[in-house]
Amino acid sequence: MTPRDLARVVLVVFAFVVVQQTLMLDLRVGGVHPDIMILLPIVAGVVGGPGRGATMGFGAGLVADLFLPTPFGLSALVGSLIGFAVGGAALALDRSAWWLPPVAALGGSALYEMAYALLGSVLGQPQMLHVDLLRIVVLVSVVNAVLALPALRLVSWALPEASTEGMPTSAVASGVLR
Amino acid sequence: MPRRSRRPRTTLLLLVLVAVTIITLDARGSFHVITSGVKSVAADAFAPVRSGVNDIVEPIGSFLAGSVHYGAVRQQNQKLQAEIGQLKQQIASQADVDQAMQQLTALLNLPFLSNLQTVPAEVTDYDTSDFAATVDISVGRADGVQLNMPVVGAGGLVGMVVQANHDTATVRLITDGQSSVGVRYGPAPGSLAVLTGEGSGKPLSADLVPNNTPLTKGEQFTTSGLQGALFPPGIPVASVVTARTGATATQESVVLEPLADLAHLRYVSVVLWGPAA
Repeated sequence: MTPRDLARVVLVVFAFVVVQQTLMLDLRVGGVHPDIMILLPIVAGVVGGPGRGATMGFGAGLVADLFLPTPFGLSALVGSLIGFAVGGAALALDRSAWWLPPVAALGGSALYEMAYALLGSVLGQPQMLHVDLLRIVVLVSVVNAVLALPALRLVSWALPEASTEGMPTSAVASGVLR
Repeated sequence: MPRRSRRPRTTLLLLVLVAVTIITLDARGSFHVITSGVKSVAADAFAPVRSGVNDIVEPIGSFLAGSVHYGAVRQQNQKLQAEIGQLKQQIASQADVDQAMQQLTALLNLPFLSNLQTVPAEVTDYDTSDFAATVDISVGRADGVQLNMPVVGAGGLVGMVVQANHDTATVRLITDGQSSVGVRYGPAPGSLAVLTGEGSGKPLSADLVPNNTPLTKGEQFTTSGLQGALFPPGIPVASVVTARTGATATQESVVLEPLADLAHLRYVSVVLWGPAA
């Protein structure tokens, strides 16, 4: 990754933080607010494969953790896992399909919130399972599915080179990725 | 069978190891000071950005909302609606001002604080995470606020400072699942119990209340102020909603509601008090 690419990634992450900490925190439905930081590892996984999904999940998660009262590092842990999982799943599908980002955002966000609550509980925060998880999962997943396509464009701009990481070597050799 | 590159898995393994290490270290005292400091720096650095973006976004939202209607009939309709809206707004804002005045007046007359020094603060944000019951307030280290200081509102205890930035702070509410408050109840000197939170908007539950303890609805529990306690003694915390004795249980099942109106907090006071003070 060149310094220019890195600067783009930093800019995109910063833009997501600004939107999350301003617009999204004020947008509440039933006491729950959307979480667009989750979109970053998901769309990075779709665009760049499991390695980049995991790396984006870790970096964006660590930044998100700076503004959260939950354990520091938890968003980074769950973001890495979800970015990797979505990236891995996307490899088996047509990455250029228009429906893939919204569907990945819907499923990935739901998985993220459940894993977040479960891992938080395992790591000494049992109260994280005592929230209205269904409401959080539904709201966050639907909002992220709606915003998936614009998010994909931003992340594609930041990660212009499609990654071959995790691709079957035969597929890389035949050049089917692009 | 196609062979997949191992690099992403190695990357994931490394990232997971680093994340778990950070979480583990953060749970321990010494490293938590570092992460808390980093969070504080990030919050301080981000505060002007947030304020600036909010200043930009709010007028745009108002403009977009106002430009939806057009045409002569619609203009007239809009004018009438605007007048009705203004009148409603006046009524609502009067109610809003009344509520704010009530909370401020109540904050000025908190009998349970006696001669403890306090810093008044405005609540600027609710629940920044869907998984924790917290509020952000408008005072920070510059005003003398430090970690673990008690925060009170009209009615009683609100919570404890868990993050102190330069000009702002984050308060964990007593309803948060991580919160536990040592309390006294019953006739003086009072029996001891611990109140624990069950999550945002949910009632509190009491631990260590023996079976068949006579508790009446509305009975108040106050902070115990035992040696090393996180809160000074005598601050009202919650009142009893229900108390049930199970046939086989060793403790009474007690449900309580916070005395401070945590759902409509506008103003609070940070008590400049620490266990060592």
